[in-house]
Amino acid sequence: MSVNYEQILEALWETIYMTGAAFGFSLLIGFPLGILLVVTRKGHLLENEAVSKMLNIVINIFRSVPFIILMVAIIPLTRLIVGTSIGTAAAIVPLVFYAGPYIARLIENSLLEVDKGVIEAAQAMGASPMQIIFRFLIPEALSSLVLALTIAVVGLIGASAMAGAIGGGGLGDLAITYGYQRFDTLVMFITVAILVVLVQGVQSLGNVLSRTVRRS
Amino acid sequence: MDKKKEGSFLSIISKSMRDTIDLIRSITAQGGSITMIQFEGVAKTYQSGKQEIHALNGIDLTVETGEIYGVIGFSGAGKSSLIRTVNLLERPSSGRVLIQGKDISTLSSKEIRTIRKDIGMIFQHFNLLNSKTVYHNVAMPLLLAKTPKADIEKQVKDLLDFVGLGDQAQKYPDQLSGGQKQRIGIARALATNPSVLLCDEATSALDPQTTKSILDLLRKINKEYNITILLITHEMGVIREICDKVAVLEAGKVIEQGSVFDIFSNPQQPTTKRFVRSVMNDELPESLLAQIQDAKSDNAIYRLQFTGNSVGKPFMSHVSRDFKVDLNVLFGNITELQGIPYGNLIVEFSGEPNEIKRALSSIRDSNIHIEEVNNYVS
Repeated sequence: MSVNYEQILEALWETIYMTGAAFGFSLLIGFPLGILLVVTRKGHLLENEAVSKMLNIVINIFRSVPFIILMVAIIPLTRLIVGTSIGTAAAIVPLVFYAGPYIARLIENSLLEVDKGVIEAAQAMGASPMQIIFRFLIPEALSSLVLALTIAVVGLIGASAMAGAIGGGGLGDLAITYGYQRFDTLVMFITVAILVVLVQGVQSLGNVLSRTVRRS
Repeated sequence: MDKKKEGSFLSIISKSMRDTIDLIRSITAQGGSITMIQFEGVAKTYQSGKQEIHALNGIDLTVETGEIYGVIGFSGAGKSSLIRTVNLLERPSSGRVLIQGKDISTLSSKEIRTIRKDIGMIFQHFNLLNSKTVYHNVAMPLLLAKTPKADIEKQVKDLLDFVGLGDQAQKYPDQLSGGQKQRIGIARALATNPSVLLCDEATSALDPQTTKSILDLLRKINKEYNITILLITHEMGVIREICDKVAVLEAGKVIEQGSVFDIFSNPQQPTTKRFVRSVMNDELPESLLAQIQDAKSDNAIYRLQFTGNSVGKPFMSHVSRDFKVDLNVLFGNITELQGIPYGNLIVEFSGEPNEIKRALSSIRDSNIHIEEVNNYVS
């Protein structure tokens, strides 16, 4: 094997770091956007056609650019934010641009599942739009939100593997440089196996969490 | 004073004058007590694609304080739009809704939220939070109003006891039956101590037994807290059971309204008659009808309606003793409407036409409504 265990552990850490940091920032951007996507819809709490249309167009643009191209396309911006366009920290920027809009859509979907009747009841008891969002919409959708965010994390793990292409490090990088380019099948096998375990773990955690928040 | 300022100043004056006039009118109309809800020419038009849908076409209704007012109609008649104009879940396209003399369409959204706390609402599908306990569901309106925690605990306990679910506080809605869920809905609606309770098909998803217990609870709320109830339903049984007044809605218009007793004992419109027949069967059985037609008898058949004290009178024996007529009861029933007995008999009279005439006029004299039903088939 052309790599040692320390290298594998470091790569695993880089993957977790990239995914975790990117998820955190994406959530900060995606969560409010997802709520906005829902409440500005026609007939919803804060109906606003202009905002709704604009948000949809912008999110669709980001969602339609393949990640590998997005990564290269925003290099100047990445350099502006983190000072460099190579490395793990630099990979987080495109990951956020990729996952933020994605999370917004997932959150929109979850919140739309909440029974319209519940919102109507909230309005009837004199709740303000903010109270409806935080005391009715989010708690009722919480279980489904957790599952949706689990999908986002799994997606991010996959995307972070591609970040190896710009020297982002992580398990994907290891698999490409050693496993693929140097024909080291064992490295390829180990990295893929670790990714499989990682994804399984995240999904199981998400399932458990979703079940526990179903009733709060 | 520039033009613009003057205009707004005048409009404020005229608005407050209009409000005062509304208030005075609503007080004088009721000999002192304020009219709770007043619909004035309320219309609602939806745009569905290129088509305009007129859900409400100029509704005029008055709900007095302390009443239980029922609005009945088939689905699509506009009931649910109508009830939603009271708490502005739907805004009328034209016309006004006055709550205790106040035109609510002129209120700011903050004022609307305040007035909504005075108008409780319960729903056909309960609309509870499934992620929260029974306790939390009932506490929600109080949490929104930032009531101190100790007060919330006490109030929720009292409310749950009142609706008979004191021991279910820690359960979740999906662990309860439909009737229990509606009781939570009612407790939640009462939490803000409202003057009005809106019931949107509140019993339509429940079985007859549960429906009855929920209606009993609504009556109790009306009597004990003097809460005015406006309900919409498609079940005439609900109207008969608890309402004081009823309006029949068809195609966005009120086609008939009045006291429940008047509407049930003397419906005018075909739709109203259909609703009344759905709970008070006063039709001849088919087989009997066929028999009468076959016999082609010249005997006269009449429908006799008794109300109130005329029910107790032994008129049949009187008539057959005093006149030379034979009476044959083909069909009959007695029910109670708002505590007043109401009877319905279909009687065949045989004898000399003159004697029958005299017998009929004697019956009429004892306050019994008579109507010939020889042409009953139509």
